[in-house]
Amino acid sequence: MKKIIQKIEPYIWILPSVLLMFVFILIPIVFVFRMALSKVSRAGLIKGFTGFANFSKILSTPTFSMVLKNTLVWTVAVVGLSTLLGFILALLLNNAFKGRKVARAIVVFPWATTLVVQASIWKFIIDTDYGTLNTLLMRLGIIDHAVNWTPSAGAWFAWEIACGIFVTIPFVTFTVLSGLQSIDGSYYEAATVDGANYWQQLFKITIPLVSSSLTVSTVLNIIYVFNSFPIIWNMTKGDPGNRTDTLVTYLYKLAFYNGKQGEAAAVSVIGFMILLVCATVYMVATLRKGDE
Amino acid sequence: MKKKTLKKFIALTLSMATALSVAACGSSPSSSESNDKQDAQTEADDKADTEADDKEEASGDKIELSVIAAQYGQNTADWWKTFETDFEKDNSGIDINVEVISWNDISTTVNTRVANNQAPDILNIDVFADYQADDLLLPAQDYVSEETYGKMYEAFLEQSNVDGTIWAIPDLASARAMYYNKDILEGAGVTAPPTTWDELTEACKKIKEKYPDVYPWGIDMTTDEGQAAFAYYIWNNGGDFTDADGNWTLNSPENVAAIEYAIQLIKDGYTNSDPANETRYDLQDMFGTGKVAMMIAPNSLPTYVKDGGNEVNYGMAPIPNNNGTSVSAGVMDRFMCFDNEYSDEELEAIKTFFDYFYEDERYSAWVEMEGFLPATKTGGETLAAKDESMAEWIDIVGSCKFYPTAKAEWADVKQGVISAEQNALLGESVQEQLDNLQAEIAP
Repeated sequence: MKKIIQKIEPYIWILPSVLLMFVFILIPIVFVFRMALSKVSRAGLIKGFTGFANFSKILSTPTFSMVLKNTLVWTVAVVGLSTLLGFILALLLNNAFKGRKVARAIVVFPWATTLVVQASIWKFIIDTDYGTLNTLLMRLGIIDHAVNWTPSAGAWFAWEIACGIFVTIPFVTFTVLSGLQSIDGSYYEAATVDGANYWQQLFKITIPLVSSSLTVSTVLNIIYVFNSFPIIWNMTKGDPGNRTDTLVTYLYKLAFYNGKQGEAAAVSVIGFMILLVCATVYMVATLRKGDE
Repeated sequence: MKKKTLKKFIALTLSMATALSVAACGSSPSSSESNDKQDAQTEADDKADTEADDKEEASGDKIELSVIAAQYGQNTADWWKTFETDFEKDNSGIDINVEVISWNDISTTVNTRVANNQAPDILNIDVFADYQADDLLLPAQDYVSEETYGKMYEAFLEQSNVDGTIWAIPDLASARAMYYNKDILEGAGVTAPPTTWDELTEACKKIKEKYPDVYPWGIDMTTDEGQAAFAYYIWNNGGDFTDADGNWTLNSPENVAAIEYAIQLIKDGYTNSDPANETRYDLQDMFGTGKVAMMIAPNSLPTYVKDGGNEVNYGMAPIPNNNGTSVSAGVMDRFMCFDNEYSDEELEAIKTFFDYFYEDERYSAWVEMEGFLPATKTGGETLAAKDESMAEWIDIVGSCKFYPTAKAEWADVKQGVISAEQNALLGESVQEQLDNLQAEIAP
């Protein structure tokens, strides 16, 4: 009897978290899949199974490929650049200098502010008519009349990416910083004795030893940024003409502006699959490297 | 050993807490429901004690009505609260529960309720066709008394006509006209506000020459309200969304020419710089500060400008047109009643609700509360008698056109015309965009 209890005991302990995941993660996922495979009326009632009709409808529109391309550009640019910049910032903040604590605190600010507020502020800064950027440059005498900083859809998208990078950097910085602090100083001492220069130390010691932190931050960032809604929604709503839409803003419009909840669920499923594949490939690749 | 016990104790406590949180989450709808009831109870407590006693005694026989209402502005929730108190005082057999929900959430909330078989009895929202298409609604004449029904403007009721049956009744309306900054127009040598498109172009040109920093004309082609711009131009060029038989005519020559004209104004630099991104509210702000000289806006614009702390010497005129008749765009919201298999008493209670709501004095107060226009003839007369500036608007609202919201394809058409406008802004052909849309909507 005691043996049986001992055997099932661990499962009882993990039962609550399994239940939690089941209720809040698995069930919603199943619901979304069901919706994606159903005909859904505009009032939200499920009117029967339609197979892959929602998917084929979505995939046949030219808008979808544009939105998919935008999503890729958005994710790669934001995650790539913020990882690079965040890493550099972490290296800087890991040095001992006066006011380091203050500097570290400042780096957290963009992260601590809600994205809606961030996006609204950025939009206000670059506004053609009332923007602080134009006002500042005019006061400094650098420009003599207001510049339209967002003359095209591409320009809007670039600003959105910039805002995305700005708010993502702190997360990378702090993840990497924690990795850096766990590196034993003696490695560097030994390397210095052996005559290794800064770059050799960076590539042979620092990067390999923080790679697991980088993996974590990159995978999480891919998921966050891919699914990020507030920045794009607050700055452009995906306009003009879907040129700045990503999958998430696009599916929101489909569901709540066009009333096509089945198709929106299909987009959601496609996004989920893409993320699943990306995250799995990346994790497997980097963890295997780590094992070697 | 002791340490082990302690560990077990901590683990047990934690797991209990987790399990409890699951249970709490699972039961949250009912707990929030009981909160609602508590709120309702608190409200009831505010009433006279005797009444509370009456209520307790009679609570078993009371007919309960659930109402979901859109939040028009700051005052809506308070207005409904007073309404609820007054109504229950005057109709002791009926217990109404009004939930006021913001525009952002109301559709999602209602859809969730409907999906869970908890549709409200009465709903106040903008569109009805989606619910009607799912057979969720009752015909208006089933739940509105003849007298109250007779008060509504015919043209307004027609907006909720599907296959010869009226499914919803108008609760209020709003109409649009052109507002202009008198000082700027005078300064630029524009003696009278433009009435035709040629005059409009000419006025824009003069304003641009005199005041290079002012945008002569405001245009909003955003996802928020781009369909309004579409309507202003096509209606004032003799075009329309549909023909007289209700067939979609999105790519008619009049419509194409109208949108091409609007796009040309933008290309010539006569408008705000980013019409795909600047909403009507942005334009209203710019109008308030004298950055935009002329724009099409609802009758609430003066209040909006004033509330923003600005002052403009403004005038109002019909929307400029290209075919001799100016058409104003009307927007109308509605009440509808979900078919929750009512007993005769319950239907009577709903009729009582509407009779009470549309009672002339109360209805005028409702319309005035957020600066809208009345949807009933008697309400119109009452308001026009009170306020002269209102009289002008009541004439406009009596003759304006509405979006074809009764048609099932409207949501797609709305997004489609916005997308067509935005693509045209990006340099694509208006003709091609509207041809594609027409083919998509009416294959």
